[in-house]
Parts: sequence; structure tokens; C-alpha cells
Amino acid sequence: MSYFLRKLGFYLMALWAALTLNFAIPRLLPGNPVDILVAKLQQRGGSVSPDAREAYAALLGGDTDEPLWSQYVHYLGNLLHGDLGVSVSYYPASVTEVIGTSMPWTIVLVGLSTVIAAGLGVLLGAIVGWKPGTWLDSLVPATTLLSAVPYFWLALLLVYVFATVLHWFPVQGGYDLALTPGWDPEFIASAVRYGFLPALTIVLASVGGWLLGMRNMMVSTLSEDYVLTAQAKGLAPRTVLRSYAARNAALPSIAGFAISLGFVVSGSVITEQVFSYPGIGSRLLGAVSNNDYALMQGLFLYITLAVLGANLVVDLLYGFIDPRTRARS
Amino acid sequence: MTSIRKRIRRIGAVVAGAALIASLGAGCAAAGGSAGGSTLVAYTGQSGDYQLNFNPFSPSSIGGVGTIYEPLFYQNKATVSDPVPLLGTEQSWNADGTVLTIGLRSGVTWSDGAPFTADDVVFTFDMLKKTPAINSGGFDGTAAKVDDTHVTITFAAPSFVKGPDVLSTVIVPAHLWQSIDPTQDVVAQPVGTGAYTLGEFKPQGYTFVANPTYWGGAPAVKSIRYVALSGNQAGVDGVTAQTIDWYTGAIPDVQNASQKYPGYTAFTQWQNQMVLATCSSVALGCSGPQTDPAVRHALYYAIDREQLNRLAFQDTAGDISPTFALTPSQDSFASAKVEEKVAPGQAEPAKAASALEAAGWAKGADGIYAKDGQRLSLTVEVVTGWTDYITAIDTMASQAKAAGIELVAAQSSWNEWTEKKGSGDFQLAIDALWQGPAPDPYYVYRYFYDSKTGAPVGQKAGNNFARYSNPEVDAAIAALAALPLDDAAARQPHFDVIQAAIAQDMPYIPVLTGGTTSIWNTREFTGWPTQDDLYAFPAVWSQLDAAQVLKQITPQG
Repeated sequence: MSYFLRKLGFYLMALWAALTLNFAIPRLLPGNPVDILVAKLQQRGGSVSPDAREAYAALLGGDTDEPLWSQYVHYLGNLLHGDLGVSVSYYPASVTEVIGTSMPWTIVLVGLSTVIAAGLGVLLGAIVGWKPGTWLDSLVPATTLLSAVPYFWLALLLVYVFATVLHWFPVQGGYDLALTPGWDPEFIASAVRYGFLPALTIVLASVGGWLLGMRNMMVSTLSEDYVLTAQAKGLAPRTVLRSYAARNAALPSIAGFAISLGFVVSGSVITEQVFSYPGIGSRLLGAVSNNDYALMQGLFLYITLAVLGANLVVDLLYGFIDPRTRARS
Repeated sequence: MTSIRKRIRRIGAVVAGAALIASLGAGCAAAGGSAGGSTLVAYTGQSGDYQLNFNPFSPSSIGGVGTIYEPLFYQNKATVSDPVPLLGTEQSWNADGTVLTIGLRSGVTWSDGAPFTADDVVFTFDMLKKTPAINSGGFDGTAAKVDDTHVTITFAAPSFVKGPDVLSTVIVPAHLWQSIDPTQDVVAQPVGTGAYTLGEFKPQGYTFVANPTYWGGAPAVKSIRYVALSGNQAGVDGVTAQTIDWYTGAIPDVQNASQKYPGYTAFTQWQNQMVLATCSSVALGCSGPQTDPAVRHALYYAIDREQLNRLAFQDTAGDISPTFALTPSQDSFASAKVEEKVAPGQAEPAKAASALEAAGWAKGADGIYAKDGQRLSLTVEVVTGWTDYITAIDTMASQAKAAGIELVAAQSSWNEWTEKKGSGDFQLAIDALWQGPAPDPYYVYRYFYDSKTGAPVGQKAGNNFARYSNPEVDAAIAALAALPLDDAAARQPHFDVIQAAIAQDMPYIPVLTGGTTSIWNTREFTGWPTQDDLYAFPAVWSQLDAAQVLKQITPQG
């Protein structure tokens, strides 16, 4: 039991450190939200008097004289209540609201593509690793090439071929804007059609890594004594592959998979930029360029929690699926 | 391993973003039209999803100004012209400029059926005055109802120049707004008098539909869809794919727009005066060679504007006048006392050299001027990713080098650049001066040359970040505030004073007048502004102007 307690304690410390960094980093950026807002309004053609600047400062509460330590205490207190504050760039919407509208898109698109990429990569890796040195091995350089191509370039090529030339898929957006989001088949079909190309780019760009990792683990697992034993027992090759080799070789991939699930919530800035896809990535970009501290902190908090949570789950799961990691306790 | 690469990919995202934006437009061909019908699809430059907010006074409002909520009058900034009556029908000042009387249109109803009355106008102005947080126009008058169709607005001092701001304030319905908090409410169901009402809102786009009971008759374009994309490059892609009908912003290969974007027409107007702003005042703490007016004049003459326009702005920029009256639309305001009506198109190195040498600068061995051991090397602040400005600085740097001046570009993030301008921590910054609410150069002078909006280095300056301070100019700007906008004879002497001073001191070195280029679908819609019929400044993001255009255009066939 102390193994789990130790882990939990470690994660609590990591959480506190992450929250503190999360508080500090946005405040080290140049500029402040009120200046940015005033500058934006001026560029839109408004004449901003000194009174208006003070008014905005009061309205947004960004230009504050409150000492840092008291801001910090407030920040931690609000977090306990689940209050992430009010977004400056989308004032008066709350951060939770802003994130709430974008999060589902990101989770579905990036989440599904991560699951598909990992599943496909591990499966192919197991098959390729089962017969090293055959023609199947050529899958490794082929998929790693796709991963090595700069992601935005791969995405642009796919857009050019499948959207601009062949018109199979739309160029940009998350769904046909004439439809109302909901659970009706028409909308889901539209969302799938719009999401296919972005998802394909993510899968293509990441499947190579999974495949390579799994293939190499397979090769080294195959030389283990227990595989030899299984073969000597006269088990069917398929059973050896599934129950003896692949099962053990997949362990590192499971860890990697959980961690990349944690990163799903941070979205994919480039995917969203290339496809004008709604999601967290563009919110994050906007929050940084508008010095929207509250929104940045909210987003970072979600990302931190997701990554820490995923790691915790892996650590705990590992205790069960691989007893060797519990050895010290 | 995979997760590491993914992380790198995400960090790389920000870096690659710029390269991506530069390259995305490269491979696109025309696609079948899908905008279609009588729905006009507009892209205003919204980057990322919309957050519901139809409060016209909110700084994060996403739309509806002019289309849903109407002002009393529309001011066409594109040409020197009289205000166009909307909710107001007539307006007049008393002789000393303290009372503005406005006649209101009768028979107008709000989109919920309630009648529009003088009480709504009084309520709106009272609310602005009571709530400084939304009073971005700085309204400080007192509105009073005379009868059902007349209101007066009384000011403590002569305030002719505040007229355009007052007249372009949008009016909101008192019967709905008296019970809401105007700083916090996002007005999910906007009710206005305008030609459009809200259809439906989605974070990826919203629609406006024609208001059948509009006092001017329902507009011909029955619905407008505003879409959210990832940025301007996506806007251009939408035009290429013919899914967007109206977009304003940078357009690749704009000179050949009619071939590259069949069925579309590109149209450019000139409003933003591009300048090399200088931290100009030694008295307020500026330091560096640019505090010497001779250096500013030398730079002014060193620029080859024709070459610059071709290399950096695809020939979309226009001339600029050292008087900072827009040329040609505001030429009638230009002083006869300023000899150069328009900044020279070609470099005049001889004039640059004589300006510098008269001020005691001498050419060093490296071909760069120097004075008291200080080389004439200047740093120009620019925002990373503003590619046209960065190209402009590179071009000007090679032009200036020929005149013995060294220009060095310093790129920083927009936040940092804004911070540097505000606090005075810069030598030169490339930027553009914007126009006021009416086609009148007074506003440029008041925004950018009035010492009241400046500040010592180290403190936050307002618009006058060049920290120009000249008591004569301040006095002339104050005097103009007390003169009617249409009294050209009385105003011109003050304009003469200001223009002579700013052409002499040159705190903002005139570069060119930046073009605002729009591209619109002429195959499906007609009635867009033209050079001969410039009834509005045609930028889709300029909401009051865009509303006029949307009322004017009609679907084809």
C-alpha cells in the first residue's frame, strides 16, 4: 500500500509546483491585458481617453496594484472553488465557459486520432516485429518518413490533394455551418466529414513512432526464454504472438499511450490553424497574444491536470499489470 | 518516444506558425462555388471561435454594430461628406457649440415591436455617462428630451468636434436595457432598430437575417453569415475556394485578383498613414539620434517610396502628405504654407545630406554619418510576423544606407512592441496613424500630436507615443475644438499652424498611406462601393461602414 501512498504524495507535490508555475509564468510576459485591449480598440478606430483606460482597468481587474503574494493566495483559493476567473479577451465570459465550448472538439478530434494512431501503430508493430528482416520491415522507414516530414507540410499537402484538387473533403472548419450542432445523424455525418482530414494528418504523423517502438520491443521480446518455451510447448504461432510476445512488448507503449492521452487536452495548435478547426489550441494562441492571464492559467491548469492524471493512472496501473515495478515495496 | 515528439511538435507549432501562414496560400486552385444563394458569407478576421457577445459597448463585442444597432447618423470616412441620416434626421449646433439639437426619425420600431422614441436616445447617452467602463468615446454631455422626436445634448464647453462621436453612438432600447448591467451582459438576444436581426449564434459562426420591419425597407441580402476561421490566411483560402464572399485583409497577388479569384473584385482604399514614429522629445526623456529633427528629415528624403510600395506593399499603398491630411480625399484641408503637398516618390539623397550636414553631422569612413562620436544608426521596432512591415524596413534600410543612415530592424511580439511604444523605450517604430470618427484631419492631430496624450519616457503614453510636445500645436488643437466642423474659413488658420509645425518637426516620419484591400463576390452580389460611388469605407471589419454596404448591395439574378 505504501507504494500507492508514496505515488500520491509525489503527485500532490507535482501538482502544487505546477499550479505555482502556472501562476508565475503568465505574469512574466511583457505587457498587460489593459494595454493590449486599449491598443486593440485604438486600432479598431476608437479614441481611448485616459479615463477609459482607468475604466477598463477597473472592468477587467488586470492592471492591479494588489501585491503578488495576495494575488497568489486568491488564486489558490479560487482554484479550490473551481473558479478560474473571467477571461479578459472574451470578457465577460468566464474561463470555464470559454474552455467548455472548445474542449469537446479537441478531445474528440485529437483523442480519437491518438487512440487510432496508437492502436494501429502497436498492431502493425507487433506484426512487423514478429517477422523481422522480411519485406514487412519496409513499413518502418515508410511511416517514420511520414512522421519526419514537418507536420504542417504534410497537412498542407493533404489539404491540397484531397480538399483543393479532389474536393473529397472541405478545406476548413469543424462542420457545415448551416447545421445546428446536436446529436442528429446529419450533423454527426458533417462533423465526421470535416474532421476526417485533420484526424488523418494526426494519425499519419504519429503512427510511425508507435510502430517503431512496438516493433523493436517485439524483436527483443522474441529472444526471451519464455517465448522460446512457448514455442517449444508447440503452441500455435498466433497464440505465441498474441499472448506471450505482444502482451509483454506492449508494456512501454501503454505508458506512452497514457501520457499522450494527457496531452490530448492541449489540442494541436497547428492542426487547428491549418484546418481552422475549433478547439483549445487556437484559444491558447489567442490567450497568449492577448495577455489573457486567466484564460492562459485555466488552459494550463487543464493541461497540467490531464498530464498528471494520465501519469498517475499509468503509475497505478503499472503496479497491477507489471508487478516488477512494485518490487521495492 | 512518441509523446516526446508530440511535445516537440506542439512547441514547434508556434515557431512553425509563421512559416505555415506564409506557405499555406501556395497551393490552392479555384473550387466550385458553395457560398451561393442570397446568404452572404463574411469573414471579419476573427481568429478562433466566437464567444457570444452582442453588447455593442463591450470591448469584446463580436458584431451587430450598425447592422442590428443603429447610430443616429452615419459618417462616411472615405470621402469628405455630410453625415447620412439614420435614426436622426437633422442635427444642428447652437452658435457657441455647447448644445447639439438632433431631430429623430418617427415611426421606427425596435425589432421586438416596441416603438423607438426620444427616451431611448436619452437613456443611451445617460447610461454611457453613468458607466465610464463602457464610455470609450468619452461622452461627457447631458442628453435631454425636447419632444418625442427631438433631443438636445448639452456640453459644458464648446464641443463641435465631439459631434461625430455622439452621432455615431449606437442607440439601444431603454425598455430592455434599463434592467441589465451594460458592463456584464452579453445581450444574447439583441434587439435593435437596424436592417438585420440575429438569426442564430454558434461559436464557429453566426447569422444575421433581414429585419422585415426595418424603417428603410428590408435589405435585399436576406441573410449574412459571419464565420470564424484561424486567421487571415484562412480567409484568403476561403475566397479562393469561393466559400467566403467578403473579406478584408492582405491578399496575395492582388494586382491580378480578377484572374486569380474569378468572380471576385478587389478594391483598395487608403486610410492608415504609415509612419516611422520616433521617440522625439529630449525634454520628455527620449534619447538617440532620432531626437534631432534633421535626422528625421533626412530619413524622410532618403526613402524611395515608389520602390518601397512595389517591394513591400504590392503597389497597394497610396501617397502620403507631410501635413497628415489624407491625400487626395482631404486635400482641401492641406495648408498652402506647406510646400510639399505629397511626400516625394523618389529618394532625394542630396536633400537628406544637406539636412544632416547643416545640423553638424559628418560622413564617417564607413559611409554612415556621425556626430560627436555617435554613429547615425537607428533601431526600428516592428512586430514579428508583420511581414509587409518587415519587408518595408529591410527596403528602407538599404535606401537609408545610400543616404548614410543605418536602420536596424528589431522584431518583438505584439505585446512587447506595444509595451515599448507605450513606455517610450524605442528609437523608431513602424506603425500607422488612424482616422477619427469623421473625415477630418483634426482627429489625427488631436490623437497623435496633442501633448495631453503623451507622457514622459517610463510612463504610459496614450496615442501620442512619439511624445511630441509643442505648445503652439496644443493651442491650435484646443482652438479647433471650439469651431464648427463646417466653418472652413475659421478653422484653416489653425490647421496652417499645426501642419507647418508637424511638417517641420516631423515626430512621425511619413512613409506611405496604407491601403485597406477588400475582396468581394461580384458574381453573386452587385452594388459594392466603387471609386465613383464611395458611399462607405468598405472594410468588412469596420462595422458601421460594413452595415451601409450590406444595406446597399443586392444579390444577382
